[in-house]
Amino acid sequence: MASTQTTPDAAPEATASAGNLLVSLTPLPANALEATLANLALAFPDQTVLVATPDAAPDLSTGGPLRLVPYTPQVTAANASWMLTAADYLNTFRLAEEHQATTCLLLGTESHTLQPEAIRGLATAALTFDLTVARYNLGPHERLVNSAILYPVTRALFCTRPRFPLAIDLGLSLRMAGRLASIAQKFAAANQPEALLWPVAEAATASYSITEVDIGARGIPQPAAHDLSALLNEVAGSLFAEVDSKAAYWQRARNPLPVRQLLQGSPAAEGAPDVTSMIETFRLAYTNLHEIWSLVLPPNSLLGLKRLYLAPAGTFNMPDNLWTRIVYDFILAYRLRTINRGHLLGALTPLYLAWVASHLVLTSAGPTIPEQHIQDQAMAFETDKPYLVSRWRWPDRFNP
Amino acid sequence: MWQQVELALSQSAHRVLVKLASFLPALLALLVAVIVLTLIGAGVAALLRRILTSARFDDRLARNSVAAISDWVPSHSPTLIVTRTVFWICVLLGCFIGISAFDAAYPGDQQLSLFVLPYFTHVVGAIIVLIIGSIIARFLSRSVLIGAVNAKLQYARFLSLGVKWLVLVLTAAMVLDHLQIGGVVVELAFGILFGGIVLTLALAVGLGSRDIVSRSLEKNADRDFEHIPAESDYKSSGSENLRHF
Repeated sequence: MASTQTTPDAAPEATASAGNLLVSLTPLPANALEATLANLALAFPDQTVLVATPDAAPDLSTGGPLRLVPYTPQVTAANASWMLTAADYLNTFRLAEEHQATTCLLLGTESHTLQPEAIRGLATAALTFDLTVARYNLGPHERLVNSAILYPVTRALFCTRPRFPLAIDLGLSLRMAGRLASIAQKFAAANQPEALLWPVAEAATASYSITEVDIGARGIPQPAAHDLSALLNEVAGSLFAEVDSKAAYWQRARNPLPVRQLLQGSPAAEGAPDVTSMIETFRLAYTNLHEIWSLVLPPNSLLGLKRLYLAPAGTFNMPDNLWTRIVYDFILAYRLRTINRGHLLGALTPLYLAWVASHLVLTSAGPTIPEQHIQDQAMAFETDKPYLVSRWRWPDRFNP
Repeated sequence: MWQQVELALSQSAHRVLVKLASFLPALLALLVAVIVLTLIGAGVAALLRRILTSARFDDRLARNSVAAISDWVPSHSPTLIVTRTVFWICVLLGCFIGISAFDAAYPGDQQLSLFVLPYFTHVVGAIIVLIIGSIIARFLSRSVLIGAVNAKLQYARFLSLGVKWLVLVLTAAMVLDHLQIGGVVVELAFGILFGGIVLTLALAVGLGSRDIVSRSLEKNADRDFEHIPAESDYKSSGSENLRHF
């Protein structure tokens, strides 16, 4: 089921014929490619679909619904196959223009785990909306960075609904693909083809229509690197930079959002996860990084962290408004360059782990289900948005 | 007798007045050169700031990660760094010109600039070395501290302090060497201090924290055996299969 968000600029009319659909795949192993093609054939049994793949295409029997378009990527991104990158958007738009497609589906790594119905749902929504974002049915302990930072920040600042703003399966209208490609081109020109793009923020800024479609279960690719701090630096840093560059938009955006219904299939957390390691990391950081945090956080937040430091593991609970203020203050420090940006995001890692530990303790011990807590957290970000706007405009004002 | 004393005093006073009369214009020339060049520097810096701001220099530089000046001096924008550099270059130029003017206007037998200018250059070099050394020390110290905390090292602060003082001692030695103060004594002292810090760090980490390391290793080994050995840190943070991404 697709939940929609239509912005004042009307969505393009759903006049795209089936033959104008381009499905762009990221590199896949041979057997995964075959499975993906089989699913695509099941998803579009009665229409011709262009399937662009950078891999060696297998021979398809004539008369099938799929028309393979093997291509050599003009721009390639190294070591970034777990997420859609600037190179992916750029290559997709070039192919769409070349083959006169009006709608694009961009399917990320492990696309062979997508069900045909899910692909069809994405394609159908993409005919009507500029941006269609996949919504995954994941376990309670998956994509925690998304739940802690990416989703609440995007929802609060850009007033958008998608639960996974950095989804790896997207449906794009041609104008949306063109807009993303123009941004991707800038990154490619700066020799950063592996840069992350934020389609939801981009669509919101351009007043394009956005919707999200339930995809169900899907294999989520994991990054090759093992360093959480470095990965958080890459992803959160990219989001903070996006927030910085679109400040003129989100300071004005004030669309009231209806209360979201909880996702179906978002089960309560089972069992008590081991949070000791994360709490220990936070406590170690509190004793060592206090000086750096005090450059970024106001005294009130530091007091909240002190209480958290003293709390026993069983009642380890970071209040929603404390985490909200922490993220907002880090976004502000990123903008003001209070300290080196790499250091800043490195200092955020133990705080993020504290949030994860608190989230796990809360959802495993009490009646709160994980999705409920994530929605409450996102609501706290929305409620506290004026704080960020105020500090963004007057950063030197007294802040207790 | 009294006449001779009086003559000597008047001659001395005359010489002092003559010296003062020739010194003051030279000093005035020095001050004028410094002030004029400072004003020119301020003007050029203001003009440059306006041009760079209108050309969105910071944004362009931010997009090009090759030139990450702001990583080293985070609290200042690249535009500010460039304009300040230009300003201080003008001030230094003013000092050089002022000293030359002072030398030319001063009718003494000694060529003062022959001694002052090279030493002044060394002083400027030493100040630059000191500033850069301090920035590098702070940067590396924070990098080590944050990296060590995220790696869950109990002695993170100690490592950070060690790195900071290594860089600061090295900087101090270079500054003194630049100023030609101390000579061999500085080299010897630097060698002893630097070696001492390295040895202390090695002993502390190797011997002093032996128990911590062994406990940490045992703990990790136990956890690895008891729980999920194949999962990496970002995927798993304990018995549950946590996925941060």
